[in-house]
Formats: sequence, structure tokens, C-alpha cells
Amino acid sequence: MTAGHSVDDPSEDPNPVVRPTGGASPRKVPRHVACVMDGNGRWAAQRSLPRTSGHRAAETTVIDVIEAARAAGVEWLSLYAFSTENWGRPSTEVDYLMHLVRRVVRKHAPLLHARGIRCRFLGASDSRIPPALARDVADLMTLTGDNRGMTLTVAFDHGGRRDIVEAARSLIRAGVPAEAVTEQSFAAHLPFPDTPDVDLVIRTSGEQRISNFMLWQVAYAEWIFPPVLWPDFRAPHFLACLRTYQHRDRRFGGVVPQQNGASRP
Amino acid sequence: MTITDDTRDGDADHRADTGHGAGQAPLFGTGSRFQEFLNDPRWALAVIRATVLEAAHPQVGAALLENSTFVAHPWRRLRNTLRSLQRMCGDDDEARHREAARLNRLHARLSGTDPQGRPYDARDPAVRAWVVATLFESTVTMCRLSGQPLEQEVMERLYTEFRAYLALMEDDAGQLPDTLPEFWTYYDRIVTHELENTEAMRIILYRLFDHLPAPPVLGGLPTLWAAGRAVTGPLIGAITVASLPEPFRRRAGLPETPGAQTLMQGAYLAVGLARFLPDGWIRADAVADLLALSPDSDDPRARTIAALHHRMKRAGALIRLITPFPPVPEPTTPNTTRRSAEEFFREVLDQTGDGYLDWPDLAAMARELSTRLDLDEPEETRLYHAHADWWRELQQALDTDGDGRVSAHEYASAVPSLAGPALIRVAEVLFDVADTDGDQRIDADEYRALFQTGFHRDTHRTDGAYTRSAFINDFLSFMSGRLRSTPYDPVIAQA
Repeated sequence: MTAGHSVDDPSEDPNPVVRPTGGASPRKVPRHVACVMDGNGRWAAQRSLPRTSGHRAAETTVIDVIEAARAAGVEWLSLYAFSTENWGRPSTEVDYLMHLVRRVVRKHAPLLHARGIRCRFLGASDSRIPPALARDVADLMTLTGDNRGMTLTVAFDHGGRRDIVEAARSLIRAGVPAEAVTEQSFAAHLPFPDTPDVDLVIRTSGEQRISNFMLWQVAYAEWIFPPVLWPDFRAPHFLACLRTYQHRDRRFGGVVPQQNGASRP
Repeated sequence: MTITDDTRDGDADHRADTGHGAGQAPLFGTGSRFQEFLNDPRWALAVIRATVLEAAHPQVGAALLENSTFVAHPWRRLRNTLRSLQRMCGDDDEARHREAARLNRLHARLSGTDPQGRPYDARDPAVRAWVVATLFESTVTMCRLSGQPLEQEVMERLYTEFRAYLALMEDDAGQLPDTLPEFWTYYDRIVTHELENTEAMRIILYRLFDHLPAPPVLGGLPTLWAAGRAVTGPLIGAITVASLPEPFRRRAGLPETPGAQTLMQGAYLAVGLARFLPDGWIRADAVADLLALSPDSDDPRARTIAALHHRMKRAGALIRLITPFPPVPEPTTPNTTRRSAEEFFREVLDQTGDGYLDWPDLAAMARELSTRLDLDEPEETRLYHAHADWWRELQQALDTDGDGRVSAHEYASAVPSLAGPALIRVAEVLFDVADTDGDQRIDADEYRALFQTGFHRDTHRTDGAYTRSAFINDFLSFMSGRLRSTPYDPVIAQA
């Protein structure tokens, strides 16, 4: 917890992390951007509001970021909404979150579909998830499954290690001999194997941790930690992060990047 | 029940049996009156009405109640019935006689006693005559109710055709009176004196359409299907009741709903308007086939159906997402590869849908398999015997309270491993009868005959054939492992 940071007014200094490099790296929009939506609780605490209102305020940011990413030409956007560890939070908060996610899914489903966004939920298999939410999630995936615009992956009840363990299980079940396991063949057993490696992770609120998020896919990701809390994060912040990324010099440890997934036709 | 007074010698019928009287329109096949009606959309209403009148006959009702799969698997049943009718009334004389022989064998296996202890036998000539009589009378009434009554000579011609149909199975249509005026006396007598308010009739009128499972094509839209069914189910019931003969309605104590008569006549009239559609738009068999077509099969139409199915699923998803207060979903997700014991009992074992596993359930399974494979004797009997042995094995293992049948509860609490020797025997016999050329492999054609689809990608087989061990293995994992299976589900579990 980096306690020194306070809430930034988005209009003032959008992103202090921006450090222009004179780098010659190609100024490309990242193909896959992931956001760790952190800071909802602190946002509420600073306003002496219950934690739940922080989650509610996050909804606006989510829609804003989706729209900004789509407009900027990002092909894959992943949002880290709820981790397997979050089940440990107070049950009233968990219930509220489940209800909120359900409301958001239902409220924005037609809009997301109209925008040609393909929605997916990573994780979302726990039996503790209310059946009504599980069905709405399945419906949203069915509805938008053929869309050709941006792919939005919501990591809901997700754990990076669990995904890797699942992939290992699936490999063993498929009877693949040990010698035949390569990085690529392993990646093919992860959930949604067509997801490309993450290029840029934005973790709001200044926290600098991975928190078990898409561990396999973030191997060569650039990380940006804007101090803004998630409910205050807006499209300008997002674009500033993209600019920072474009000025980073990505070397992939000097090796040729091995990206998961082929580009979609 | 005897109708000796009306029984005459069967000269006329033996002539009819040849199918083509000299200088007359054919009794079967193209040009017959009956074939014109087979594709008439009004016939859907007429057949429901005829089925109700059949079921009101105590013997037929008992046979239906005990043996029929129409509650649990109505679409499969409908398709089989239409296919049989088509064979019986098609142009091919040989196919017709084979089908008649098959029906005779099938009916020979349907006998027993009803709950009141009265015996029934599906081969009783009087019973069969009544089934044909209801079909004939319902066709005539259908024309009357929709405002296009048949002329006297057409009606007589149609009656001759129906008698010929009966003669095909009985060698003799003696149980049906010779002439039309005598027929009406016979019909009125049965309606007023023999029909009863049977359980089977009540199920058809009040339960079947309220609980009708969605046809495979519409499987993706359970909510929409349920909503449509909630409206049309009672409507079909009311229309059918209103079209039944008044003396029978009075005797059976069926309700007289205000406006039902008008509704019924309106329905017949409206459906009758479909005759203005271009030729070939409505073909009963094509519609039934389409409804029963599963999106997984490799039929050329299946790709279109699969695309349509996908679209409907998406439409269903959108409707649910934008509905303000959707119903709370059922807790079970049907997409797991393994069925729960209750699901397996309901979808696979309890073929008659009465909540109990009994011999008729397994007989229905044997019937479906032998219909699929178009078996002749003695293969058919071998398959039935194998199923009968399996039934004894199940009964011994599962019938804990000794009432002679296995309830869903008994099955679920035993959670049996069913791969006993008798079940393995069923798999072996099924392999033998499916392997028509006896080369100990199921090749592509034999596979298609059984499953009506080509080899699926996941069948482990070598050089384009299915070996005995792989076949038996797959059958056992479907039956005792309760695994969902692409080839077997459409045969045995589908509605």
C-alpha cells in the first residue's frame, strides 16, 4: 500500500507516470490492454461512504474505459473485476457485488452488443455465483459471441494460478507426453486460448502488485500504475496510459515475442 | 366387444388389397383421396381429435397409457407415426406389406391388463377397427367443420380406402361395416355405449400440450417455448373438446366452455385457409423431420438449422437480458457431459413418462431401435429378448419395495452401476443386428441406419468402421456411465 498517494483530480495532472523516452519503438496502440480496477474501497472511505458505493461508482468508469479503448483501436480489453480471493470479503459486500455485476450486465448488454463488442467472462464457474447472474453472464456471452469488434474479457472470479493448474490438468487428461509440452501447446489449454498476450496492464490507485491476475498472459506486459483511484479514472487517463505505453521501449528480454493466439480474421 | 352383426365376408377387401382396382382410382399411393389429406394442415387438428377418441376407448386407452412414449418423447413418436402412414399409403406395394407386417408384430407385443384388471390387446380386430374408424370420421368431420364438407361419393371413396388400410393388417376389414350408412350406425353405437372418460384421454386433453417438451430444433428457447405453450396448450384442449361428438362429451362429463364452439370452428376454418398456399409448401413429413432434426447431425439441412438455432439462442439471450424481471433459472445446468441419476431416469430410462421404470419403458426402447434399423424377424425378437433380460436384471437389482417396477427414487438412491451381463448382452445384440452384412464392423451405411447421421469425429475407430468393442464400449458408457452421447442422445433421449 503506497500510502503517500492521494486522489488526483483527473483534470489536473492526468498521469504523472508518463515519462517520455526518446525511444524508437513503434508507436503502436497496444493490442491487448488489461485493467486492474483497484481503489473502489478507498474512494468510498475518503468520502465517508460505505464501501459498496465505491463499487457502484466504478460502473461509470468501466463504461468510459470500454468506450475509450474501442475508440483508440484496442482489440482486446480485459478487466479484473473479482478475484478468487475476494470471496473472503464480508458476505454483504460479496452479495452486493454480485447484484451490482448482474445489474450492470443487464443494463449495458444491448449497448455492448450494438457496439459490436464481444464479451467474455474468465472464471465465473464457482458454484457460489448466484444462478441468476451465471445465466445472465452466459446470455451475454451467447448474445455477443459473434461480434467482430473489440473483445472484452471480464476476469470474474478469476485466479491466474488456477487457470494454469486447469491447463495442466487438461494437458494430462489429453494424454500429451511430457516432451511434447511446449509454451505454445500449454497455452492452448488455457481458458480462451485465442486471447493474445497482454501488452499493457493498468493498475489504478498506485498499488504495484500482480495479485494473481492472468499470470501466464502478462509475461511480457508493460505495467503502468497511475495513482488515480478506479472510480475517478476516466477516458483521458486511459489515453494518457496508452501514450506512455507508446513511449516505452519493449524488448521482450531480447527474444522474439511468442504471442498467444492468432489475429482474428 | 363384438360387432358380429356388421361382419360380412371380406370379398371386397381382398380385391382392395391389390391396391389398384380396374379402371378405378388407386386405393393407395398417388391419386388416392387419403394422400391428399395427409399433407393437409387441418389434419393436425383432426389427428389430435382422432387420438382423443381412440384413447377414450377403454382398451386403446389402457394400451396407450401403459406403452406409449407420447408423453416423454412426443416428437419422435409423431415422426415415427407419419413415416409409418407414408409407407402404408405410398406407391410401393412391397413397402406397404412390410410395414403392415411390422405393425402387426409391434401390436402383438402390446397387451396386458389395465389398472381395473380388464385385459387389453392391441391386436384385437375390434380395437384396430375403431382406430381406423376414428381416423376416417375425424377426416370427414374436419372437412365439415372447416366449411368444405365432402360430397357423398368422395366420402364413400375415402371410406373404401380406409377399409383397405385396415384390410392390409387384418387380411379382412370385417370389423368395419361394408357400407357407409352402416358405418355411421356402428360409429354412433361405439360413441354412445363404449367410450369412457379414460385416464389416457385426460392426459392427451389436459396434460400433453401443457407439458409438451420443445422439439429439438427449438431446444435453445425454453422460455419462449414455455410461454407459447402456456397459451396454445389449453387452447388446443378446448378446441378438441368442442369438436368431440356431443353424446360422448355428455357421458364423459367434459366441460362446455362458452365460445369454444366458435373458437373451434374458427380454428378449423383458419387452418383450412392454408390450402391457398402454393403446392409443396406444407408437407407433414418434411415439417416433422425438420422439427426432430438435431443441430448436431450431418444432414445437409442441419447446418442451416444449426445457424438458425444459434440465432434463436442469441435472440433468447437478448430477450432474457432485456426482460425486467426474468424468472429465476433452474439450478441445474444441462450442459454437463454426465447426467445426474434423476435426469438419466427421466430422459433415457422412463420412456413412457409415467415416473416409473417398467417393462413397457424398455420395450419402447427396443421398439425405437428396431424401427430405426427397420428390423425383420428374427432379429427383432432377439433385440426384444435382450431387452427383456435386461429388464429382469434391473428389476432384481433395483426394485427394493417389490412392487414390480422401479421408481425414480429407487433408481436414484441405489445409484446403480448398470453394466450387468444382461446390459452387455443388449449391446452385443444391438451390434449384431446393426451389422447387417455380418463383417463384425459397423461401416458408414450401417452407422447411418442406426443414428441417421455420419460418423462423428470423436468416435474412436480405425479405417472408417466401428469395431465391436468400441461400439459396446460407447453403448455401455451411455447406458451405465450416464454420459451424454452425440449419437445415442437423439435416438433414445430426445423429445
